[in-house]
Amino acid sequence: MTEHPTPQGPRVTRTPQPPPPHGRRAEGRGSQSQTRSRSQSQDPVPDSTPEPAPDRGGEQTDRLQYLDVATRRIARGMDLDETLRELRRAAVPAFADAIIVHLHDPLPVGDEKSAAPVVLQLHSVSRKPEAPATSGAPLLKSRPLHSDIAERVRPDTAGRLSKLLLTGRPAFGDAPGIAPAVAELLGPLAGVPEAIPPGRRLIIAPLHGRRHVMGTVVLLRRPERSPFTRDDLLVASQLATHTAIGVQKAVMYGHEASVADTLQHTMLPSSLPEPTGIRLASRYLPASKTAQVGGDWYDAIPLPGNRVALIVGDVMGHSMTSAAIMGQLRTIVQTLAGLDLPPDEVLHHLDEQAQRLGSDHIATCLYAIYDPISHRLLIANAGHPPAVLLHPDGHGEVLRVPPAAPIGVGGVDFESVEMHAPTGATLLLYTDGLVESRDTDVGTGVEALRTSLRAVASGRAAPSLEPLCDHILGTMVPGSRDDDIALLTARFEGFPPDSVGYWHLDPHPLTAGQARRLTRRALRRWGLESMLDSTELMVSEVVTNAVRFASRPIALRLLRTDVLRCEVTDDSSQVPRMRQAQPGDEGGRGLFLVDQLAQRWGATRLSTGKVVWFEQQIPKKQRPPDHHRP
Amino acid sequence: MGNGADYESIRFDRSGQAEAFDAIGDRYDEAFPHKEGQLSAGEWLIDSLPAGARVLDLGCGTGVPTTRQMTDAGFEVVGIDLSRRMVQLAREYVPAATFHQLDIADLRPGGPHDLGRFDAVAAFFSLLMLPRVEIPLALQTIRHLLVPGGLFVLSMVEADVDNYAIPFLGNTIRVSGYVLEDLHKVIEAGGFEIVKEASYTYAPAVADVPPEEQVFLCCRRHD
Repeated sequence: MTEHPTPQGPRVTRTPQPPPPHGRRAEGRGSQSQTRSRSQSQDPVPDSTPEPAPDRGGEQTDRLQYLDVATRRIARGMDLDETLRELRRAAVPAFADAIIVHLHDPLPVGDEKSAAPVVLQLHSVSRKPEAPATSGAPLLKSRPLHSDIAERVRPDTAGRLSKLLLTGRPAFGDAPGIAPAVAELLGPLAGVPEAIPPGRRLIIAPLHGRRHVMGTVVLLRRPERSPFTRDDLLVASQLATHTAIGVQKAVMYGHEASVADTLQHTMLPSSLPEPTGIRLASRYLPASKTAQVGGDWYDAIPLPGNRVALIVGDVMGHSMTSAAIMGQLRTIVQTLAGLDLPPDEVLHHLDEQAQRLGSDHIATCLYAIYDPISHRLLIANAGHPPAVLLHPDGHGEVLRVPPAAPIGVGGVDFESVEMHAPTGATLLLYTDGLVESRDTDVGTGVEALRTSLRAVASGRAAPSLEPLCDHILGTMVPGSRDDDIALLTARFEGFPPDSVGYWHLDPHPLTAGQARRLTRRALRRWGLESMLDSTELMVSEVVTNAVRFASRPIALRLLRTDVLRCEVTDDSSQVPRMRQAQPGDEGGRGLFLVDQLAQRWGATRLSTGKVVWFEQQIPKKQRPPDHHRP
Repeated sequence: MGNGADYESIRFDRSGQAEAFDAIGDRYDEAFPHKEGQLSAGEWLIDSLPAGARVLDLGCGTGVPTTRQMTDAGFEVVGIDLSRRMVQLAREYVPAATFHQLDIADLRPGGPHDLGRFDAVAAFFSLLMLPRVEIPLALQTIRHLLVPGGLFVLSMVEADVDNYAIPFLGNTIRVSGYVLEDLHKVIEAGGFEIVKEASYTYAPAVADVPPEEQVFLCCRRHD
């Protein structure tokens, strides 16, 4: 789309080249309407003057031919400005000497009735250049033109203009009661002597869509030109009708594109999480053509133990359906990630679920888990372009993970590959739009990406992620893209083991006491004595709850960053819910207490049971020095 | 602890444990590359023992780092391990030491094997492979293997579990553990005096083994 579809201000144009006047043979081959084929069977009458020819039969033919060309051009416009430009070119100078177009602001979308009062906004004015010989009264003479025409008109609901808009029929300026309507629409200009030509030289035509007033068109002729005839009123009506349909079509088209765009954007993360041990940045670029919605997505999901799942995926095709399927796959992946399944199992279940969405939805997906404590990366791939690991020295390592068949194929054996994730390295996940185009295959594109990375990352400290993303898109992406692009970058920062405590504990009546002792020892080691009481109390409550249902050892995990996070994992999938304790209740008070004392808490079902966690802010002075973010 | 239990009444099948370590082989050292805690406990032995002392490395694994550290210190070192593959690797990595594929139960008083008495026994992350009921028996055996006043260094992972199956480097092993206070009691009840203690949080360099609390104890046979 070359121009914005909503009117933002009046556009004043001088028609440089008169369009074919009525009577000239139609060009173009698009339409095969009845009118056209009949009119073409006769020789066109050469026309050197805009005045109607004296011969009535020839005059009608001219009108029909003129209408045929004009309406076809108007109908061809894909957007608002194009449609209205074609109207102006059709009208001036062949049919009128000036045209003033107002549009309803905002333009109504769909069939819903709007309670808001009608506001007409001046869209554009076009007039025939004045011949030097013409000495008559200048039409719309004042300059600058638009300063003399009311830009925003709020028709009086009981006034003549509103009435005219409701009838939907065009009228001559001198028809009974129309002059006040014209005055209401054109404002100060209507009051300027001689600005409005005498006699039937003005037609005001409402633009009426299926249900709504879309705007108005005013057509003017100079005093020296012959007045409009009754047939001209019909011509004006035709022009207005086709324009209104065109405007409505453009509005709907624009609306559809914006719905698709909104749909796509709401289905991508509005912000990325900021877990300790990793930094994240992302980009999404839609394809160049607005209506081409893509199915690319990315995600970053915090997992227990300060690990993070990093995901990129791409639903094949460019349509609203791709975007909708993408949204569903992303939700499925989030659910599976929440269960803390290994990457190959996430892809396996995603594949199963995708087949239930329909048989012909194919998607590629790469799923990685970064563990900042063990400095390990686990990756599985379903037909997606390979991830690239940018090492601190600028070397871009293409991660060799077996690229199994895409999601939606079914029965694929996915494989998780484990590798070292060095601190300072950056993982790049992207969709094929970044490395593949009509002229470039994936292999060449990945090589270009590595070259681009070498240029930016070698020699000095690794660049921050935001400039890195900008650099990658700046060097890799051509101005016009046929595909959308998603890019997710993750800088590994690691997590010091001395800020972690981890214990397996058999469930028995003394477990809560043991957990309390272990917590106390860890907090003393970290100098967090001020948090002892609340933490011990919460650990004790959560462990007590866990022990009631667990059949295997539970796990207690303490993680120290700017917050103290405690996680208690057990093998019972029964996720506790907070409730007010009833008199005589043994348990149940636990989570209520946690809710009162903790800054945040939550309970998540895992594939192997559940984890209940809570966090408390660590006072600034007691935070570990390595973990404040600049 | 372990009251009434003896080797005649309990015989655990440990072939699963041995097979797991046969399969793990060298990957064990890759997953646990940092051995500072273990080396520093070994240093204590080196500093405390006379030249030429006899040292038993109980559950020696690949022989790295402890058998090698003790051998390099000039001690006469014997290593035993349950896993055939580990013993094979240890013989390759530390040719100067002697290795046997044995279970600790084989060395019990009156048991089928007698390797003589030792000035020191090291058991790094090996007693945790036993069910809890056997740990006092193992301590009894270690006491029996030591000369009076002999030294004993060991490491455990702090946990409150008994013969608990965990995924480990693509295999399943069974482990036991105590929280620190309970471990002290077990060791002291076994006839040892704890001289020195250190603990670390250790993050193995693998995704499937979570970080663990490692405890190193330096003890003396109580006489």
